[in-house]
Amino acid sequence: MTTANTTNTYTLPVGPLHVALEEPMYFDIQVEGETVRGVQLTAGHVHRGMEALAMQRNYLQNVTLTERVCSLCSNSHPATYCMAVEALSGLTIPERAKYLRVIADEVKRIASHLFNVGIMAHLTGFDSLFMHAMEVREIMQDAKEGVYGNRMNLGQCVIGGCRRDIDEETAAFLRGQLEQLKPQLDELYGVFERDPLIRKRTRGIGLLPLAEAKRLAVVGPVARASGVAYDVRRKAPYAAYPELDFEVQSDTKGDVHSRALLRLREAVESVKLIEQCLRKMPSGPVCTEGMPAVPRGESVARSEAPRGEVFYYLRSDGTDTPQRLKWRVPTYMNWEALQVMLANCQVADIALIVNSIDPCISCTER
Amino acid sequence: MLPFLKIMFRNLLRGPSTEPFPLGPARTHKNFRGCAKFEPEKCILCGICRHVCAPGAIQLRPSEDGSGMEYVLWHNSCVFCGMCAHYCPTGALTMTDNWHLVHLGAEKFSNCIDEFVPYDECPECGAKIQPRPQAIIDKIGYRHPNRFLLCPKCKRESIARHAAKVHNKTEQAHP
Repeated sequence: MTTANTTNTYTLPVGPLHVALEEPMYFDIQVEGETVRGVQLTAGHVHRGMEALAMQRNYLQNVTLTERVCSLCSNSHPATYCMAVEALSGLTIPERAKYLRVIADEVKRIASHLFNVGIMAHLTGFDSLFMHAMEVREIMQDAKEGVYGNRMNLGQCVIGGCRRDIDEETAAFLRGQLEQLKPQLDELYGVFERDPLIRKRTRGIGLLPLAEAKRLAVVGPVARASGVAYDVRRKAPYAAYPELDFEVQSDTKGDVHSRALLRLREAVESVKLIEQCLRKMPSGPVCTEGMPAVPRGESVARSEAPRGEVFYYLRSDGTDTPQRLKWRVPTYMNWEALQVMLANCQVADIALIVNSIDPCISCTER
Repeated sequence: MLPFLKIMFRNLLRGPSTEPFPLGPARTHKNFRGCAKFEPEKCILCGICRHVCAPGAIQLRPSEDGSGMEYVLWHNSCVFCGMCAHYCPTGALTMTDNWHLVHLGAEKFSNCIDEFVPYDECPECGAKIQPRPQAIIDKIGYRHPNRFLLCPKCKRESIARHAAKVHNKTEQAHP
């Protein structure tokens, strides 16, 4: 339904810089009255040529570069990149490093999910809840700064393991932060589940039925809220996930509200995962000695980022610089589903529905 | 009804959650990854920090008279990833918890670490070699500390002399 204007419909441009969008994305929306009849998506506003940059930097420099692809999943990118390099050079990372990687991943997941549900509250006009969600997230931001040294870019992964060990003192600090977070998370879940304002604005909009979710191959919380219980941590376990006990959250409603609640439930699971890691983590080295030699060849690696499956492809010609490094990020799979979710919605709900896929444009356009 | 009201009143009673900086102190964790710090007396001029630095903030320039190298790290190019500190074999480069990096625009090119690292001399032939501080001797040169201080050429000769001596001894013992 993206044909030219008729007497009844007109085109409403949303973006690339729009108050309700967190990142630059441009929609040409065909509107009939207040109802959306068609969507055209234009991408490429934050293209920075990072895949080309990766081909001009050596393997070690690329750890830092991939960390800066996106700020909210800034641990998933270097971790997956390191997995691809390790697969190619035949490196096995120490047991302790596997657990440390899981901890870093889950800490980032909690912060990312809380950010997204906070923004959802903001878009419904419920700014005091938005502030509160961000305040709860601040507990995790503090944990990141105290454990890793930075609020966003943890700098934990390195080819062959991890950089920073979690000693007794830091573990106690992290546990303390989790203890603070747990009651707050439960309370926040209750508010998001029961608050009449949130329910009124978010239930039953942005529907993605199971069949459409499968057709569009969506990933992450978007897929899981539509009944596709697909989680890379379970389907293709990496790092220490095979040894850890967690539940893959899923739902069948597939609307904006269920996606937000699913994210909050995942944050609760993440807290449990971190606690398990801190308990089970074996002692030992956190990183392999020396520099890896990356032979000629290609490899792939995938992991579950907060937004869904992130996939890295690496091709090496035997030099110290990758010949090709390519990544496919979850938002690339999820934003096509906006065509389905936005169909026949109200103009006022556009921003809410777009936010419900947790779009990360800087990842997708890199 | 309106389950958020309880939280809102609680938050109101608790007061602001931000730190009153600059009027009060800002809490900094001891693990904080801030401004890099360089100790020239520990540096062995291996260049691994420059190799792993993604933004290219580190330069090693040979001095004109050949007496050493100038070590430059621009704080404004640095992205505080800490890779240099992770790979530094002697701990010459570390990340401090100092985040006070405010400076005037006029100082943007001079806001850097700029240190001179002199070369060592080979104790036998006097050739200029990379410095051999105690930290690196303890790490990789502890088996033959005296030989470790030599230049590559003298080291080869020393090894050859030692091998010949061992060979002669075994010849004498088992003719």
